[in-house]
Amino acid sequence: MSSVGALPAGGLPLEPLPAPADERELLTGATDERALTAELLGKILQPPKWLGPAIVVTGAISSVLVFSVGYTLVTGIGVWGNDIPVAWAFAITNFVWWIGIGHAGTFISAFLLLFEQKWRTSINRFAEGMTLFALVQAGLFPLLHMGRPWFFYWLVPYPSTMAVWPQFRSSLTWDVAAVSTYLIVSVLFFYLGLLPDLAALRDFASERWRRRIYGIFALGWYGSAAAWRRHRIAYGLLAGLAAPLVVSVHSIVSMDFAIGILPGWHSTIFPPYFVAGAIYSGFAMVLTLLIPARRWYKLEHVVTTAHLDKMAKMLLVTGLVVSYSYAVETYAAWVGGDAFERRMQLAVRPFGPIGSIFWTVIACNCGTPLLLWSRRVRRSAATLFVLSLFIQVGMWLERFMLIVSSQSADFLPSSAHGYQPSIIDGAILVGTLGFFSFLFLVFLRFVPFIPVSELKALNHDLRARP
Amino acid sequence: MTSAPALWAEFDSAERAVAGARLLRARGLKRLDACSPYPLIELEDELGIERPSLIPKLVLLGASLGGTVAFCVIWWTAAVAYPLDVGGRPLNSVVADIPIVFELSVLGAALTTFTLCLGLSGMPRLSHPLEALEGFERTSIDRFWIGACDRGALDDAELAEQLQQLGALRIHRFVGSEAAREG
Repeated sequence: MSSVGALPAGGLPLEPLPAPADERELLTGATDERALTAELLGKILQPPKWLGPAIVVTGAISSVLVFSVGYTLVTGIGVWGNDIPVAWAFAITNFVWWIGIGHAGTFISAFLLLFEQKWRTSINRFAEGMTLFALVQAGLFPLLHMGRPWFFYWLVPYPSTMAVWPQFRSSLTWDVAAVSTYLIVSVLFFYLGLLPDLAALRDFASERWRRRIYGIFALGWYGSAAAWRRHRIAYGLLAGLAAPLVVSVHSIVSMDFAIGILPGWHSTIFPPYFVAGAIYSGFAMVLTLLIPARRWYKLEHVVTTAHLDKMAKMLLVTGLVVSYSYAVETYAAWVGGDAFERRMQLAVRPFGPIGSIFWTVIACNCGTPLLLWSRRVRRSAATLFVLSLFIQVGMWLERFMLIVSSQSADFLPSSAHGYQPSIIDGAILVGTLGFFSFLFLVFLRFVPFIPVSELKALNHDLRARP
Repeated sequence: MTSAPALWAEFDSAERAVAGARLLRARGLKRLDACSPYPLIELEDELGIERPSLIPKLVLLGASLGGTVAFCVIWWTAAVAYPLDVGGRPLNSVVADIPIVFELSVLGAALTTFTLCLGLSGMPRLSHPLEALEGFERTSIDRFWIGACDRGALDDAELAEQLQQLGALRIHRFVGSEAAREG
């Protein structure tokens, strides 16, 4: 016991440890509970002037989606640029891109909760909302890509007079299970975290109709100690359940590729590589949404520079993992001895018909994050915003390149064929961007997008420490 | 949250509320309750509700149920009801079952967690009798309430006085839903 002889006679001092300096940075300005509530809920009860027109504009862009999807349904899937051999093209690119974006939301809310990272508190609701709306866009594409989306329920095992059942050895059915589970768990996680704030909104609003509507959605939450305890246990459990989903869902999406035998797809690196790419593009999307919102909502003291700095570090890490995956993929092809794989990785992708896309991907996904080594870049909101856009473009193009290059040039030279998207393909992509923004703005209008009760708890925690 | 007759004390800070709960416990009261705008672990400790929760065990059950149902459905459809030879591969290919069995286990667990969290706390509900108490709506904003539901606590004037000395803003006597509605 001599090594701990320096301890005071009464045992370890039970004084709480002082909060680290960077935790203090996470919440500045008003720290009185009522003022904090009034400020954050006031943003819902008295929305800023720009919000209404912004909802109208994004709603108008969403109508592009309605028209282009309607046209596809009425005329047939031939209005898209897809053909054999490039049968996936835009639809699956969009699917993988949107679902990847969702992953950062779950990463922030689940992984960072389990690791007790306090900086998740101001941004988790925001990121979870992003996840849900990205999933809505993602789900649209496999459905439409089936060609006859009104028969989507054929993928679910249900007893029918035809006595035909889905083929569960096909990765398409895995996708159905993965994506629908992910959507349901994300909704439950989001809603459970939201309950106390809906109750606060119910009790804070002055109009009767608001109190009623928020009261119904708050499901009768009154913050009793036993309810808080169950809430904490359940929230922790859901975080523990959502964390493996972050890893599994994009792994399963990557298996759509990896269990195929096409050169450039048939690789064991795909699951981790896709998961890293998903979190990478998702963090970029969080920054794209958060940077303007914190400015226009004047939330700089709640979503501080410290938050941006931490998210930028996550971008840097995941960006480096993605760059490493590109390197390993190419190296494995070089030394692997498979002539088709080597041709794909070393000739078709970098120097083939879509070689310019390959180099754009490398510039956006491997070059951009290197700037984030600089602390000044990480703490500059405007620079981060621009970088996040580059990364998102890069990640979309990456999936496009993966799909089009492998499908357009497989084993037989006679089956090689290029790909040209149609205007409807472009319209659907633009439409989902509009619809995503529309849903997100509606969320900002009606839902407490900064977790008020969690911030009050953080505030209490910071105050309790010297 | 109980709706039994109780003495409720309203505080404006977490620290004072915890002190109030400590007082009630020191006086030997057993049936304590509290409401707060954010979770307070210190308060839970003082109220003595720190018993192992049933939720994790039932969630494990939910997860097992989800996974088992998934496996049985896949096995029965692929190997019994609709066997389809795909290049001579095994009909019940367990490796190919892993993704779906895993996903449905997670789904079963998540649905159980959510249902238990709400159900055990008496939710969903549209209202609660305690709402009749004046100022109760501020519990979700910045007020902390401590309640003693033990027999006799309601009429204990000395207890009320002690709570006020600890900084209670107001003492509310909640005598059950009927009486509360009257006044």
